[in-house]
Order: sequence, then structure tokens, then C-alpha cells
Amino acid sequence: MIAVYLPGDSLVHRAPAGVKLLLLAVLGLALSLLPREPALLGLVLAGAGLVLVVLLYALAGLAARPLLRQLWSTRWIVVLMVVTQLIFLGPAEAANNTVRVVAIVVLAGLLSLTTRTAELLTTLERLLAPLARVGVDPRRVSLTLSLAITMIPVIAELARQVREAQQARGVRLGVRAVVPLLVLALRHADDVADALSARGID
Amino acid sequence: MTPAQPAEPHPGRPPGAVIELSGVDVELGGTPVLSGVDARLDQRRVAVIGANGSGKSTFTRLLGGLVPPTRGTVRVHGIDVERGRKALRAAVGVVFTNPDAQILMPTVADDVAFSLRGSGLDRAAVVERVAGTLARFGMSELADAPAHQLSGGQKQLLALAAVLIREPALVIADEPTTLLDLGNARRIGGILIDDLDAQLVVVTHDLELAARCDVALRFAEGRLVDAGEPAALIADYRALHA
Repeated sequence: MIAVYLPGDSLVHRAPAGVKLLLLAVLGLALSLLPREPALLGLVLAGAGLVLVVLLYALAGLAARPLLRQLWSTRWIVVLMVVTQLIFLGPAEAANNTVRVVAIVVLAGLLSLTTRTAELLTTLERLLAPLARVGVDPRRVSLTLSLAITMIPVIAELARQVREAQQARGVRLGVRAVVPLLVLALRHADDVADALSARGID
Repeated sequence: MTPAQPAEPHPGRPPGAVIELSGVDVELGGTPVLSGVDARLDQRRVAVIGANGSGKSTFTRLLGGLVPPTRGTVRVHGIDVERGRKALRAAVGVVFTNPDAQILMPTVADDVAFSLRGSGLDRAAVVERVAGTLARFGMSELADAPAHQLSGGQKQLLALAAVLIREPALVIADEPTTLLDLGNARRIGGILIDDLDAQLVVVTHDLELAARCDVALRFAEGRLVDAGEPAALIADYRALHA
């Protein structure tokens, strides 16, 4: 999951962002493509993948609270995957797939926990540079990604404001609360556009 | 309307550090929000006061190149705001009322470093400049803190740091202390008035801050109705609302 950088001096922190991105891609692909049959072998491989991720967290000195927080943040993915797959596939496959997805998501979290956004942006821009020939602007792509990461707590705060405004007036808007939230979010987007413009980005 | 005139040239000001507006109207969505603004500002600290909706914020957005004039010309330090957008961006830094909208990166250091994007500095130089700026603002300890979890005062300090790291020749601040408590308001005000090595245009309802400027402008109903020495102008403004 997306997380905010936690400073540290571990090997994982010091590793170049490009290496970490490559490792995430390789491990992600491996976890997706490794055999699932027979079921026991599949489960062992998935479990081994998750153990490897936990070891990487330990190497980064983040095996306690940060890891637990990352695991907890995948709870809804787990619920959704387990329920749907139990209905359509069966318990072995549900466990196999869910463990693999959780391992990949938590591994992605380790990338953002141990890499400064500025470094990640520079690396992304470098990796995306060849796409400039086909009209992709690497700077714009990396900026969009980092803005999305930055705005998550802002939107959460706006949602809290809407919730408190309802409580203060003793009303419950239910699903309709999305309307004031959308208005606030759009107004915020206007302000951010001004701020981007003022910092020289059009 | 009396165009603001300098009492005397300011020592240390680079030549051409003048804001000039001539016959400026601004309409937004067909509605006039500024009309017939003429001014020549070469004072180091310029306060802009007036009621809500009087056109103060539009005036600053105009100087920052965020809204174009519908009629007339605006030149900021020799740059035409319509023709020289790129040069204007390099010369002008804008601080908004709500620091939340200015924070564009997840952590404090990342956000300050973001201002140097495209500056051509290498990574080591950026890290050094960011560390120096954060130290100057007493925020070194917060370098890796999530920016949106800072207090209101810290967020506005961060917004200011992110603007000043680019060393703009003109800083425009639109009600920078409105959302702050007295201590933080004074701290931000102190940095803007005393420490800034640039021209400052500050829109404010804080008349204490306005009084510390070299000149004050008063807007009412989209017009620049008064300009001159802050103490006298503020006294008149207070009398209007007595």
C-alpha cells in the first residue's frame, strides 16, 4: 500500500530506487507466475514469498509496527478476495491467491516506506524517458503519481470535515455526503492548480 | 485614486524592481472584479488591505500571473505578465492563505525540493539547498515528516520555505497569517517583513502587519481607492469602520 517514507540507514533504505523498483517488478512477477498446482506446492511458494517480504522488512528495520500496519491496510483486499474466491474457486486457491496478492501489496509498501518521493520521481522519470518519443511526458506522469500520493491524506481530512459538519448540525447525509465532499475536493483541486502554476508547472 | 509613489529610492534594490500597472481591468466570467487600476510600486514592503471581495486577492493573482488582465498592462520587475510567463514564474513566489493547497509532495523535504525541480541543480546540490532552507526555518527535525500532519503554523512555514528556496525577486503573500494563531502569525509576519531579501506584496487583514510595511494600498469594490503611508491609511480605514 502507499505509505509515507520512514527515514532509516538500512541496506534497503540506501539501495538505489531503480534497484528497488526492479526487485519489486521481479518479485511481483515471480509471485504471480510461480506454479499453483499442486495446491500444496502453490501454497508453500506463496508462503515463501510472504516470508521473503517479511525478511526484507526486517532487513529495513521495519518488521514491527510498520509491517503490521501494512498488513492491516490490506484487510479489505483480503476480505474481498477470500469471499469471492471461496464462492467461485475453493479454499486452496483462495488462500493461494490471497497470500500472493498480500505479499506483493505489502512489498510495494516497503518501497514507499524506504524511498524518498523525490528519489522515486527522479528514477521514474528516467525509466519513462524512452516513452517521450511516443508522446508520453515522463515528468507529468511522475508528478501525477506523487500528487495522488500526497492528496490521499488531504481528501481524508476533507471527508472528516464533511462528517463533522453533519454531526454539528445533527444530520446524516449518508451516500449524499459525497456531494459536499466532491465540491470541497474540486475547490481544493483549483487551489492546487494555482499552487502548481505558481511553482512554475503548467 | 493616488498611485503609490516611493518616498525615496531603496538602497540595495536591484534596478527595475518595480511593479507597474496601467489602466488595468480584470473581469472573471464577464463580471468586473478590478477596474481602472494604475500604480507604480517600488517600495520594498507593500501591504494590500480592504474588505472581503474588494479585489485584493485578484490584484495579487494578477501580479503572480494567475489571472490575466482583461484590459491594460501589468509589468512586474520589467516582465509583462501576459508575455513573459516563464520569466515571471522564476521571478515571483506566491504564498497562499491555505497552506494545505500549496503542499504538493508527501514529506517536508520532498515538498521543499520540489520547488527546485527543473532548476538544473544536481541531486547533491538540491539536498544541500533543502537542508539549508529547512535549517533557516527551524524545520530540520521535520525533514522526513509527513507534510500534511504538520500544525497550521508549521505548514505555512513549509509553504514559505518552499517559495523562498527559489530566491524569488518578488514574494506575493495572500493573507498568509489568516489561519494562524498569534504566535505563528507574528513569526510568519516577522520573516516576511524583516528577513525577506525580496520585494513583498502582502494582502492582509492583520493591520499590525500592514503597519510594518513601507506603503499600503486599499481596495474597495474592485478599485484601488487609496495608496500611501501605512499608518495614515490604516487610521482612515479604521475610521471608515468605526
